[in-house]
Formats: sequence, structure tokens, C-alpha cells
Amino acid sequence: MTSRPEHLPERLALISDVQAAEYISTGLLAGREGIPSIALNKVVEPLPDDDARWQLHRVRDLLDDALSKFRDERPTAADAWLAPRLHATLRLTRREAAEKRFWTYMALGVAPDYVVWRHLSEPRADGSRGGVARDRFVGAHYKQTFARLWWAAELFRDGPDYRPAVVACGNQDMLNSALRLDIVDHRPTALALVGLMEKGSVRTGREVNALTRAVNAAAATLMYDVIAPDTEPDGEPLRDWIAGAASALPVPRNTLPEGPEEERVPADAVHGLIAHFEELFGDAAVRGRTSEERD
Amino acid sequence: MRVYPYPRLSGAVTARVTAVRLRGPGDTREQLDSRGCSVVEQVVALGLAERDDWHTARLSVAATVPIREIESKGHWSDVEVVAVLTEGATNARTVARLAPGPGGGREWTGEIELNRDDHLDRVSLAVHVVATVGGTAGRVIASTDQDWVIDVTADAPLRERRLDVSTVSFARGAEWLRGFREAPWIVDTSGRMPTVRLNSDFEGLVALVEGTGSKVERVVGEMVLAQMCADVWTAVFHTAIGDLEIEDDGTPLFPPDWRGAVLREMLPDIFPGRAAEDALREVHIRRTGEGSWADLQPRIHYAAGRRAEVPGTLTATVRGIERLDQETHA
Repeated sequence: MTSRPEHLPERLALISDVQAAEYISTGLLAGREGIPSIALNKVVEPLPDDDARWQLHRVRDLLDDALSKFRDERPTAADAWLAPRLHATLRLTRREAAEKRFWTYMALGVAPDYVVWRHLSEPRADGSRGGVARDRFVGAHYKQTFARLWWAAELFRDGPDYRPAVVACGNQDMLNSALRLDIVDHRPTALALVGLMEKGSVRTGREVNALTRAVNAAAATLMYDVIAPDTEPDGEPLRDWIAGAASALPVPRNTLPEGPEEERVPADAVHGLIAHFEELFGDAAVRGRTSEERD
Repeated sequence: MRVYPYPRLSGAVTARVTAVRLRGPGDTREQLDSRGCSVVEQVVALGLAERDDWHTARLSVAATVPIREIESKGHWSDVEVVAVLTEGATNARTVARLAPGPGGGREWTGEIELNRDDHLDRVSLAVHVVATVGGTAGRVIASTDQDWVIDVTADAPLRERRLDVSTVSFARGAEWLRGFREAPWIVDTSGRMPTVRLNSDFEGLVALVEGTGSKVERVVGEMVLAQMCADVWTAVFHTAIGDLEIEDDGTPLFPPDWRGAVLREMLPDIFPGRAAEDALREVHIRRTGEGSWADLQPRIHYAAGRRAEVPGTLTATVRGIERLDQETHA
């Protein structure tokens, strides 16, 4: 089984796709082999500037806790717990989070064991096991193991409040389908999708997919930013939050951490969109049912 | 062409950035030099800022809207004009409302703020006209044809990207380069932008490419450069096409970064006369095994050669050699 790297340096780093490719072996993807961590750390690139946020043990400790806490549960259950805590531990700007090499290093250099534990597919009926998809190590922001959780927390939080992100990550379909769509880049839209889940208007994976598809299709001609305006963005709270990283305590394991003190999403904008999306979803659901009946 | 289930404006909407003010720590302010903003290219190069510690860039935007059409046709009410900044790589989206100026609302102006921490590379600026149509609020009734590009790092306002060429010793460079120690150059497409690595161990190559030698060397150097560029275009095309996002219904999507830009530029040469989305789908189908991938290769090479200006450079090389021959025989 892929194990915790033997050698964990003090600081996080970057690793390019080309270099990473050498370490993503079939044995690793099958969950049988680990990473030769000393060799790997010889080819990585250092992160710029000496920043407390790049201390590796902060994030490794968090992942160790996640592994022990969810040992006896389905690995998917760990997403909703880990996403806000990973986000609050790393305290990244979006510019930093857009750096693919950072996430690849997290997967290979910090916690290949976590990637394998979380994404090794369930044993099939004949006892054989499918491996881990390569894009869980090196992949798009909505696929890569840690990037997808960080972005889910980033896009679904309500200012400092991570609760909507916990709801979104509690549903794999929401996490998988919404994260790749541009519509969630508009905060009121993201929170309205969560609101519909909380209300119970959408429950099953099929319903969540129908909803996100309908909302996305409508966004081709409708500007949600005008129908449901967000507040003006302000970069100051995030800069303060990042500056406070050096003196920050490890994120709480039992209660939710708090994010940067950004302004909350206007509640009336979210409510307006919830009503609007319910209508859209109603139409989409009706169409879905009739097409099923025809099948 | 797309069909919309409601009336849209037929007149054009145009936008331009008229000024850029940068703000940094301690409320320091700087007006971006006018050289950093090209109205022809529709590009703003924020790398030209004198201070590198700026936090926000406030862009003054002016948009021209076909107001006569709006008034005369009467389909639309609650007309608003908004500027939108987006960048795929950071999932960032910022929206600002513009206000009608004096003189009947043909010209709308306003400001939109770009927060540096939210951006990595190239940000698109679009202007949309939004209105209530047939009882539905928030309909997009027109948009700018071409987005402005706000380049967060570039120091020249150019739409076309310059190729990043770096010279390194393959034998003594990074581990992975050692395997290529006999190659004159390789194309690295794994990063944020494709780069060419020139092998400094390859004797005479660097001088040749830099064009510092004799006339003959300069002529040959141009040819080598064109060939290198063609290699780059071919490599980036294959990288871009090999890593496409696919929708549930099988539709491939244009990547949000340079890969998308490369595909949009090359596809018209690969499938002339086809819409970009159709051409992308066709290439994807061929690559994934249905239809012929091999048949497409000459077209990919043709497109790459054209982008790299191989035919023109070769013509110039042939003429240059003829002229040199005449000079030596004269």
C-alpha cells in the first residue's frame, strides 16, 4: 500500500508535470507503491520567499488527522471535513492556488498515501480493484485531490463562513459537476445552489446534475450578476488573513475554522436566485421525467 | 451563428480602457504609463507599472452602445451596461456597472477594479448590454465582439504572446534535460506558458539563433528559428488537444489558458471554413480513434508552418543565398 513519505522536508515546494510524470508509476496508481521521497525532493523547485504558510508539517498534520478520523468510513465523507480546514491551513491567494505545480507537489511530496486512500476505487465484484485516476495527482482544479477541495472551499464559502462549502462538499455530484462550471464564480449563484440542497429541493445526484445543467444553460443568455448583484470585492481582508498565518494556531479539528473576514454575500441576492433556480429546475425536472417515461 | 429566443441588438458594442490607476500599500498610487495600454491591440500590460507592489488596478472603461436602435425598436427596458473581468485559471469574476454619459446614452463609462491576488496571467475584459426582454430581467442583448486582454505581468501591450526562449546546458541542467543532451532544442509545454530550451552544449547554436555571426549565419539562423517555431506550434497543438475537458454529452471545451488560444488560432488552418467549436469537436473525434488521426497530420504541420512563417522565411533564405552566391562570384 502507498505509504506516508519517509522523507518529509520542512517546506512545501513546486513540481512540474514533466518531473512529476517520472514518479507517477502504474504501481503508485494501483496503490501498491510509494514515492521515493528523497529522489523526488531533489528535483522540486522551491517556493518563493520564506513564508510561514509553506511549512509542510502544518498541512501534513491535518491530513494525518483526516486519515485517522475517517479510517473506518467511506473516504468520500472526509471531503466535507477536510475542504474548509485545508483552505484555512494554507491561506492561499487565488493566484497562488492557480499554480498547478503546488498541488502536484502536495499529492506526490506531501501525501501520496492520502490521494490513494481517498481515490482508489472500490473493489469490483470479482475482487479486482481499479486504480487511482492519474488526474487525482496531476490534474485540473476540479479533479486533483487537494486542488478540488481548496477550490470548493474558496468558491462556496460565504466570506469567513465555511458552512455552505461543507454542504457543497457533502454531495459528490455538487462537488464534481458545479466546480467545473463558470457559474459558481459568481458567489450568489454558488450559495443559491447550496441553498437548494439545504432546502431539500434537490436531493439525489441526478437532481443535482439536472439543476447545475439547467442553471448553466440559462447563464448563456441571462446575467445573474445583474439579477442578483454581489458586493464589491475587497482584497484587504484576505491580505490581513495571510499576514496572520505565521501566528495562527493549527485549525480547529472539531469546530469549523473561520475564513478571511470578507464581506458576506447579500442574502436577498441569494434568496432571489433560489426562487429563480427552483423554477428553472422545475422545468428541467419535468422534461427529465417525460424523457424517462419515453425510454 | 447562435440563435436566441429573444430580440438582441444588431448594432455593435465597443469598449476601450481609457486609464489605469494602480494602488499599493500605504495608499500609494500610480497612473499606468500610456504605453502600457494599446487601443489597437486592445491590451493592457500591467507589467509596465513602476512599482511592483501594487494591490489593485482600477480600469476606466468607456463603452459605445447603439442607443438609437434601443430607443427605436423598443423591445428592451431597464437597460444596463456592465463590464466583466474574468480569468479561467483563477475562477475569478468581477462585475461593474457603467453609467450613461451626457449626450443621450451612446457612451457609457465607469471603473472596474482588478484585484491582483485574484489573477495570474491574462484577464479578459468584456462589456455586455443587459435588459429586460418580454418580462424576463437580466437578458444579455449584446456583448463586445472582442474582449480586451489585461495582462498582469507583460511589459508590452501585445495580444500575440512572445515565445519564451531560454538557453541552458542540457548536460548539466535539470535531471530530465539530460536525456535530451544531443538535441539542439526542446519544447517544454508543461508550464503556464510553452517555452523553448536551447541547448548551450550544442556548439554554435546559440550564436546562430541570436544572429550575431556572418551574413550566411544570419540567413541560416532565421531558418532555424522558423523551424523551431514550427516545432513549438506543433508541440503546443498536441499538448492542447491531448488535455481537453469533455462535457457529459461528449462536447470538448476550449481550455481557458494559452492552450485554448493556440487551438483557436490553428483550427481555421486545419479545418478551413468551419466554426471553431465544430473544428475542435472534429479534431477530438479523430484523435480519440473515430475517423482518421493520421490524415490530419499534414494539416497540423501546415498550420504550424504557417504560424511560424516557414514559407516566407524559406523564400527569404533562398533569395539570401542566391545573393550571397552572386556576391562571391562577382
